[in-house]
Amino acid sequence: MRMTVRRGFGALAIAMAAALTAVGCSSAANSGGGTSGGDAAAPGPDVLNGKGQVEITFWHAMGGTNGEALQKLVEQFNNQNKGKIHVTVNYKGKYDDALAAYKNASAQQRPDLIQMYDIGTRYMIDSKSVVPVQSFVDVDKYDVSDIQPNIAGYYTVDKKLYSLPFNTSMPLMYINREAFQKAGLDPDKPPTTLEDIMADAKKIKATSGETVKFGFGATLYGWFVEQWNAVADQPICDADNGRTGRASKVMLNTPTNQKLFTWWQDMIKQGLAMKLDSNTDNGDNAFSSGTVAMALESTGSLGGFVKGAAEAAHPFTVGTGYFPKVDAANTGGPIIGGASLWITNRGDQVKERAAWELVKFLGSKESQVTWHTSTGYFPISKGALDDPADKQWVSQKPQFATAIKQLQGTKLDFATQGCSVGEMPSVRKEVENGLQAAMLQGKDVTEALTGVENAANKKIADYNAKLGG
Amino acid sequence: MTTNSLTAAAQAAASASARPPRRRQHYSPREILLGVLFCVPAVAGLGTFVIFPLFQAIFLSTRGTDINGNPSRSVGMDNFAQLFTPEFGEVLMHTLVFTLFVVVVGVVGPLALAVPLAQRLPGMRVFRTLFTLPFAYSASAASVVWLLMLDPSMSPVNWALRVIGITAPEWTVQSPWALITVAWATVWVVAGFNLLVIGAGLAGVDEDVLEAARIDGASGPRTFFSVVLPMISPSLFFVIVTTTLTSLQALGQVQVMTDGGPNGATRTLVFSIFNNAFENGNNEYGLASAQGLVLLIVGIVLAVIQFGVIERRVHYR
Repeated sequence: MRMTVRRGFGALAIAMAAALTAVGCSSAANSGGGTSGGDAAAPGPDVLNGKGQVEITFWHAMGGTNGEALQKLVEQFNNQNKGKIHVTVNYKGKYDDALAAYKNASAQQRPDLIQMYDIGTRYMIDSKSVVPVQSFVDVDKYDVSDIQPNIAGYYTVDKKLYSLPFNTSMPLMYINREAFQKAGLDPDKPPTTLEDIMADAKKIKATSGETVKFGFGATLYGWFVEQWNAVADQPICDADNGRTGRASKVMLNTPTNQKLFTWWQDMIKQGLAMKLDSNTDNGDNAFSSGTVAMALESTGSLGGFVKGAAEAAHPFTVGTGYFPKVDAANTGGPIIGGASLWITNRGDQVKERAAWELVKFLGSKESQVTWHTSTGYFPISKGALDDPADKQWVSQKPQFATAIKQLQGTKLDFATQGCSVGEMPSVRKEVENGLQAAMLQGKDVTEALTGVENAANKKIADYNAKLGG
Repeated sequence: MTTNSLTAAAQAAASASARPPRRRQHYSPREILLGVLFCVPAVAGLGTFVIFPLFQAIFLSTRGTDINGNPSRSVGMDNFAQLFTPEFGEVLMHTLVFTLFVVVVGVVGPLALAVPLAQRLPGMRVFRTLFTLPFAYSASAASVVWLLMLDPSMSPVNWALRVIGITAPEWTVQSPWALITVAWATVWVVAGFNLLVIGAGLAGVDEDVLEAARIDGASGPRTFFSVVLPMISPSLFFVIVTTTLTSLQALGQVQVMTDGGPNGATRTLVFSIFNNAFENGNNEYGLASAQGLVLLIVGIVLAVIQFGVIERRVHYR
């Protein structure tokens, strides 16, 4: 009996410990938010004088080759500023993780500079924990005309440039050129609409001796749905995608999205599209292993695809095309994805200024040439594309020319700026749940889209209520 | 309760016997001080890691966070109201199915393997080592291994199934299968440890008892169910308890294999808690704490059932 009771308590303790490790971690909930963002004039360059070596921290979300390239750039900056500024870089995992880390950190734990993805923009502004880059631009009379206008447009809110764009990507259509040739299709003319994709996928499927298993295969990634809507020139949030006021709801149960979802379901039913989940790694593998002939991905994946395609069991060459349209008549263009650099307000003007010096360095034409050619991200500097070293790189990677043309051909309006709402990361997750419900669970399209709208609207309402209270 | 009854028993014993023990009722200050000192490490540890977080979880469960994740507003019972939604019901259902699958398969499987392995045949040592090996894997590493095994582009499992004429399901993206797949990876990890424990239990079964059963004319199955099973019941009970706890805490395997998908079909309780609190910038510490309290209650209820009901059937020698 005694043994039993003691063992009982032991098990209880284990059960409690199990439960508590989960909830106990929430003690990490921080206290003390950021002080007001403020429009106070930013400190000039003199503030760094006589301060010795200023130490700043920089959080980023660049893994693999991209992370190494960034590390090299920062080392270069540290060498140039020996004795004045020293930057410590800290890799925080994927974009979502970097955002979560920032939110989980207290004001003291936050970095001086953080790389934040496009859809974190509205949250960063609302958090009141940042110094708008615009205030440094004003003080320094910094010339922003070299920044690609479409890219700067995304990060300009209330006529203020809040963060300096750094790594920019666009979605592209990737194709397996050999699979196209074998099916009697022209690999220089990738499909441009949903109908074309279906027609080409049928031809590829009907080709005898074809090693590719599916004509089409894209990750169920919420980002793509945002892109399709932008290409269709349709804002997905009210208040002009949150650009002329605070967005309060999403508009996703639209004919465009119904057509898109229905088409995708058909593709899967007919065995033309591969069933994938929302993990981009799986979608990337499906294309670079030669399992699918057409895929959607960011320009940032070009390098990995070219390498993977050469090492595949049936090696192939990678071709690129514009991100496809839902309707041939669509006149919009893809949203500029990627991330930007945010200077945080920690009440220390010296560190803010030091962070701005690093931002200026990373955004400069020279750094952007290095960045573009070593990662495949789009250069934010117009001048970078005219640089001889850059031009040579582009000529060696003809697939990249598609991205340049696509960016320059996209008009800048509310739809192609993307939705600016604080809960955008959650909205994207809800869209992914809707995609999974429709494509993997065979749920009715209207039902799935209504579900997404309701869930997303609730998140946005909660967020806006938090701002008010 | 135990301590009280023990003290009472001690006092009874003391009053029943001679005088000297009576003096023991007056402790010197030094003894009291020492007693307290000896308790401090245990109380401090328990306080820091169990009692304080428990009260903090209760406090947090009534709070709502602002956009920066500060638990700054009181929301009353709102977070608990969210526990009575179909979404959370589904989470509990997934947790139940997952736990049942892992416990049943993860205990019966190793038991079925352990019985032949306990025979003193040549080469059994090698097999025992092989079957125990998954124990060395972490849940996340095992998940990566199984993801590769089931990868639609190059799965050896799908290939083997094709050879015998079965079309493999889409393991990680099809609704009922996804949960089973994650549970299977968990079974694979726990099975090694369970095999080790059950194997040790079987090795401890007395040969004389088995011989007696044989002489009494008991058949193989009869010997197993009436003699062997009761004799290894302490080991079985132990693996059932640890396996239940392991599967209740499943987190890494869900994150690695499905991230809760498709459309939330593999969201289990701990995954949901972690996701609400830390992932995707959700910072819903309040809701996560409320769900954490549910996990605590589930843990307690299971412990009570397992120790109060099942253990009565356990035969300790």
